[in-house]
Amino acid sequence: MSRTKRSFIITIVLVALCIPSLALAQTTTVEFWHSMTGSRLTVLNSVVEQFNAINPAQQISPVLIGTYEEGLTRFMAAYPVNQEPGIVQVYEVGTQAMHDSGMIIPAYQIPERLGEEWDFGQYVAPIVRYYSKDGNLWSWPFASSSAMLYYNADHMRQAGLDPDKPPTTWQEMYDMGIKLIEAGVVTHAMSTGWPDWMFETQLAMHDQEFANMGNGREGYPTEVSWPSKFTDELMAIWGKMAADNVWIYGGAEYNANGAFNSGEITFLMQSTSSLDGVLNTVGDNFEVRTTFLPRLSDEYPRGNVLIGGNSLYVSNRVTDEELAVIFEFFKFLSDPDIGTYWHKNTGYFPATNAGMQALMNEGWFAESPNHLTAFLQILSGKSEGNAAAGMRLGPFAQAREWVRDALERIARGDDQRAALEYSARQINQLLADYNEFLD
Amino acid sequence: MDRFPNHRILPYGLVLPSLTVIIAFLIIPFGQAVYQSFYRVSPFGRQLRYVGLRNYLEMFQSPEYLSSFQNTLIFSVLVIGVGLTISLVVALLTTQKIRGAAFYQIAFIWTYAMSPIIAGVMWSLIFDPSIGILTHAIADLTGYRINYFTDTVAAFILVTVASVWVMLGYNICFFVAGLQNVPHELKEAASIDGATSWQVFWVVTFPMLSPTTAFLIFVNTVYAFFQSFGLIDVVTQGGPNRTTEFLIYKIYRDGFGRMQEGQAAAQSVVLFILVAIVGAFQIYTSTKKSVYNR
Repeated sequence: MSRTKRSFIITIVLVALCIPSLALAQTTTVEFWHSMTGSRLTVLNSVVEQFNAINPAQQISPVLIGTYEEGLTRFMAAYPVNQEPGIVQVYEVGTQAMHDSGMIIPAYQIPERLGEEWDFGQYVAPIVRYYSKDGNLWSWPFASSSAMLYYNADHMRQAGLDPDKPPTTWQEMYDMGIKLIEAGVVTHAMSTGWPDWMFETQLAMHDQEFANMGNGREGYPTEVSWPSKFTDELMAIWGKMAADNVWIYGGAEYNANGAFNSGEITFLMQSTSSLDGVLNTVGDNFEVRTTFLPRLSDEYPRGNVLIGGNSLYVSNRVTDEELAVIFEFFKFLSDPDIGTYWHKNTGYFPATNAGMQALMNEGWFAESPNHLTAFLQILSGKSEGNAAAGMRLGPFAQAREWVRDALERIARGDDQRAALEYSARQINQLLADYNEFLD
Repeated sequence: MDRFPNHRILPYGLVLPSLTVIIAFLIIPFGQAVYQSFYRVSPFGRQLRYVGLRNYLEMFQSPEYLSSFQNTLIFSVLVIGVGLTISLVVALLTTQKIRGAAFYQIAFIWTYAMSPIIAGVMWSLIFDPSIGILTHAIADLTGYRINYFTDTVAAFILVTVASVWVMLGYNICFFVAGLQNVPHELKEAASIDGATSWQVFWVVTFPMLSPTTAFLIFVNTVYAFFQSFGLIDVVTQGGPNRTTEFLIYKIYRDGFGRMQEGQAAAQSVVLFILVAIVGAFQIYTSTKKSVYNR
């Protein structure tokens, strides 16, 4: 064999060795921007790994993009320069903005475009209501949560209170808080994560709209519907709780969890998505129980708690190959096994009815009743009406910041009506700007 | 006439790389900021609409902007004034002829190696309203429970103290170096002439330190205006009630959080003018008054 021949063969072999990597290059990979931090990150990555293991040609590449707010802003900034991912996880606050953005394929159109069919009736009804526009789902249900009340049953016993009878109204919360403080069990009784969301949730729980135009669900809202008699009464008792040390303001997101986990406070209003984090951290130190959020009074009608958490949006520039991967991934997420895994490890709702049923059948709720609280709360609430379904605002994130601003003032002892009025004026200006510049 | 005989092109070639970088990353973006400050972006960036001076007018009428402006100035004065004073005192103490002076110097300086994020997390945990160790200690001693999530003054003080602490190592480092460069003979001559140690410091040491001081004032100004960002983002996120939302943090929040690019651009133009004035003033005073001739 001559030298040239030999080198020719070596070249062929080398080229042949390269072919597998050429085959790999035909893999369709879709980027998935998300904001799952902490213990939820591991769970999400494990779900994606399980999906990627099924078909090497269809891959999802998860990217932690920062907070929800940053994720939304980055998506809006990336789209005009063609840098957006296939899938983006957006928090409920971004719903109206995503609908208006013109950057996404509505979720209900995804199966249609691929010539397939999909039953959207399989998702849990309150989630579908929240993310639907004109009766159609615009984003894929993923990690939904609602707020509930966590409490330390040991503290209740120490103060001579019955742990089977947690507060159901704010007045009871105030009275129990005072007892806990007087008994020397705690210095402050209650705190909350996401104070702005709690304010919104209280409105919805009493069937009160947040903004006009049917809570923003029938048109672009022009002004908020508060301060009102309802918010005056709610803020009066919240202000009283702050003044008498029952309520200690706990920051914007999850800072208050630390106080609850270390036994500094008895009551915590927080998202269900914190449940597993709280249970794991507390361990056997004390008995954690959960219940529905307190109400103001039965003078106001019953509404429902709000859906929080996030859902998944798909860029309207994905190719059909990419969309096929995305649809497969979404179908995978809707699988009852994945839904139950996701729920058990994060506390978020499983998105499908089948997932709920599977959890019930395996006795999960009997084993961990705290995981049932949020379902019962949202399913026992009112299911129609704009107020209970949750508001739609374009500049929602900014509006929320102003609500938090007012609550910080109220927690500090400022005049409640004036604080809400100032924030309401700011939000009305934001709504006017949004409507003026919307094209 | 020719400053570089025989080298007509080379000097230009040598400054070209840095010129390119400055043009690409500073001049052009700044031009864009000026341009954008006269426009409003529609909520999803699909179109720019010319609004003239509206962004500027609304900015100067906004109570939030004016209070941010005022808080930034107070914060900067405190960070520079308090920070440099403490640093100079510590530097003076650690350059005395005491046993273990080198140890003390390093002990004070090493904190600068800590990233502002870690420093921020540390300070926010120390003063956490529920689980903070100093919150508890102070509550036990005085009965007053600090909650920097709602207490605007507490939050402002916390951010200021943390910022001063973060810059302490850097400032001490430069003061120590500056002090070691003050010729010993001058101080000795002054004391032989009957000057007290207090007089020696104010008449000899302090003027000799003026180049260092001028430099540190500039660095700390830049820190207070721009680099405090990381610490604020970790500790307070601008709250409560936007008390610690200093100008640079407000630009970030408005531009990237609140999707108000036009308004943020207008603010960044104003911030540029402000810092340019401070910078020019400092270059002017430091070159004029500093004692460079030994």
